[in-house]
Amino acid sequence: MTTTSLTEDSLRAYEIRNIRAGRVRRRGYQRFLVLRSQINFYYFWEKRWFFIAMAVGLSLITMPQPDGLTREGLIVLSMSVVAVILFVTEPVPLPTVALLIIVGQVLLLGLESTTVAKTLMTDSVLFIMGSLMLAVAVVKQKLDIRIAWLIVRITGTKTTRVCFGISLVSGILASFVGEHTVAAMMLPVGITLITLTSDDPKEVRRLAAVLLFSICYGCSIAGIGTPSGGARNAIMIGYWKEFFFDPTNPDTRKFLIDYVTWIAYAYPVFLIQLPFVTLILNWTFKPEYRTLSRSVAKLRQQIQLQGPMQPSDWLAITIFLLILLGWIFLSSYIGLGTIAVAGAAVFLIAGLVQWEDINSGVNWGVILLYAAAISLGVQMKDTGAAQWVAENFLALMTPFGAEKGVGLWAAVSALTTIVTNTMSNGAAVAVLGPIVLKMATVAGESPIILGFITAISSAFAYLTVVGTPACTIVYASGYLKTTDFLVVGWRMVLMSTFILIVAATFYWPLLVN
Amino acid sequence: MAELEGIRERRRNRFRILVCIDGTDASYDGIRFAAKIGYRSECDIILLYVRPIDQGLRSGGLQVRVARENMLDWGLELPGIRNLKKGLDILAGGEEMSAHWTSFTSHTDTWNDPLGDNKVEYRHESGKTIVLKLKTAPDPASGILDQYELGPYNLIIMGAPSRWRSEASSFFNVGVTQKIAMLAPCSVLVARGHGTGNGTGYLICIDGTRRSLNATRRVAVLAKHSGYPITLFCVATQKNKVATAVRVLEKATEMLSKMEIEVAETKVAVGDPTEKIVEVSNDYSVVAIADSGKKWFHRLFVSGVAYNVMGASNTSVLNVR
Repeated sequence: MTTTSLTEDSLRAYEIRNIRAGRVRRRGYQRFLVLRSQINFYYFWEKRWFFIAMAVGLSLITMPQPDGLTREGLIVLSMSVVAVILFVTEPVPLPTVALLIIVGQVLLLGLESTTVAKTLMTDSVLFIMGSLMLAVAVVKQKLDIRIAWLIVRITGTKTTRVCFGISLVSGILASFVGEHTVAAMMLPVGITLITLTSDDPKEVRRLAAVLLFSICYGCSIAGIGTPSGGARNAIMIGYWKEFFFDPTNPDTRKFLIDYVTWIAYAYPVFLIQLPFVTLILNWTFKPEYRTLSRSVAKLRQQIQLQGPMQPSDWLAITIFLLILLGWIFLSSYIGLGTIAVAGAAVFLIAGLVQWEDINSGVNWGVILLYAAAISLGVQMKDTGAAQWVAENFLALMTPFGAEKGVGLWAAVSALTTIVTNTMSNGAAVAVLGPIVLKMATVAGESPIILGFITAISSAFAYLTVVGTPACTIVYASGYLKTTDFLVVGWRMVLMSTFILIVAATFYWPLLVN
Repeated sequence: MAELEGIRERRRNRFRILVCIDGTDASYDGIRFAAKIGYRSECDIILLYVRPIDQGLRSGGLQVRVARENMLDWGLELPGIRNLKKGLDILAGGEEMSAHWTSFTSHTDTWNDPLGDNKVEYRHESGKTIVLKLKTAPDPASGILDQYELGPYNLIIMGAPSRWRSEASSFFNVGVTQKIAMLAPCSVLVARGHGTGNGTGYLICIDGTRRSLNATRRVAVLAKHSGYPITLFCVATQKNKVATAVRVLEKATEMLSKMEIEVAETKVAVGDPTEKIVEVSNDYSVVAIADSGKKWFHRLFVSGVAYNVMGASNTSVLNVR
């Protein structure tokens, strides 16, 4: 009788081949086999987009110079195209792109390395760094429990009201603290409400979507509310100053957009969108539970166990309010970035956060990436590349009647929305900002209005997980699918774009004038 | 080193199944399949959830681990742990794990991520092992392939993706399941439906080559140990090759009968192999096809029958290597 063994006679477990071939017995073919086994050809397949990007860049640099574009402009444009391909496809770690931009500026543009280095650390970059450090510090204060208490007190137990409350509170906080911070803080609140309603994720699938998207989109639409709401805002402020401000010409002072001016332009756009977020989410997902009375009651009990606010909690809030006042009243004099970094230092001095927490919570490579992208953006302006692209883009839009006015605004908004859904919104503004601002000059439009359209449209990354930081963080909960973003995202895009164009048409001209 | 070699030696005497889960229903179907074929004491089942390392740019520069640690502080389970626990419940089938199982936990810092790799190993008195592994890797596919190197494994089971990409779109972004199907050194099963079968068994496809006969023998042993009936199937590309196909089936049946493995049925069809296999496979719980033997770069540009059937079939497909 034949006995078969599962281990011996069924599917085989193959050991990974030892790539050290040992002694080569014969030259020629044997040596070729050894060499082939030692070269990992799969590496080239894995990194194919890197090689494709380099090939595209090389072919662009070596192509005949287009009319109206300088040699340096062509190089900068090629570098921008390569950078965008690498941003979107990520074949190499993203900070590598920053390093390549720096090296490219020195080697290809012939700039002094010290000159390039100086362009990397601007007030915008300082602000990005400072706000990320503040983000970690704020999340570590565990104020999210107090925020949850506030929400459940004011909203009641109806699902739509809880969702609106979450969006409202998340949004107001995110407009000042930054969307990534608030998303990280509010995520446990949303998940707790979900898990207290039911342990089975399938029973609360649509409710989970509504609650988590309330956090995610509440933070996203609010990130444009104030300059401290997101890196892209600081980048655009830096571009306005770099491109248009002339200290010898008082008329150009209007391009120094301070904290309050930004709020005047952008905050109403955020507030008007807020109720529509709740409407769209409830209409799209139709949550299984119309009331969350049981889970809200349990959440209240959990919160009450925390006890009253501690002195450290009050200190953290006080420090943050001081930072906020500093941004409002002092940023025109000493810059947003200086205040953000000072705030982070105060949190460290007060012992409210450890440097190890900040060091592990901030991705420093991202700061380098933003710095390099801004540096490249400035080069786009200095070499005339931005001007050339702007002129050609407007020429493309002319047959459609979109070379100025509402048509141009809608085209810029659409372009920014498409780009921001494929890459980070900060990088999108860093790349598109110079082109859009030059477009404004060529078309005779207000650079402030077009700049705001670009900055605000960069928040319309509702369609993909990687579109905005809040979406990425909320997706980490594991309750959402990538298709959920598509299902609701297109409605959000339409709503946001409509409100933006209406604001640009009727409200912003009043402020500009 | 000697200890590692000892562990590897012990593992060579075990039938090890690596089940990759991502929280989708399809991946839980893979677990149910593993439970069906891995119930014997000589089988070890490893449930793997791969968590991508933080990409700071996507979260605006704030590491996602900050949000993750905040969730842990609230006492909430991370998605990977939740999915693995659900997988364990499916495997345990309601049995209390503390009754006859001893558990061991371990943690490794990887990729400078303090949450790192986490493993819980349950060992039964009989020697059977169930492992829950939460792994951190740059992307799920590389994590799974890295995990294989820690094995090795006799079988990798993955849930079917919602969309099987064509060769052209695979160039831009190949899905995790497709990537593993292309690159895994061992046999891969793409699970669809419940995978536990409703009694209709295995459909083993043969093309007459030595590779496919070898694969038939191995899959038949697996089917016999799992209690599934076996149907042998051969596709003749032209009508004048039907006689050859019949001879191939007779040869395979004779080979299996010498191993005391009964063949419930044999079938022959005429036409395109991929189309015919997909058409017939709807009546079976698993379709088993031998790998073509092509290198990975050949498979990128000229996909074989097995790979195409994996994408097109409505039932679970076992690609035998």
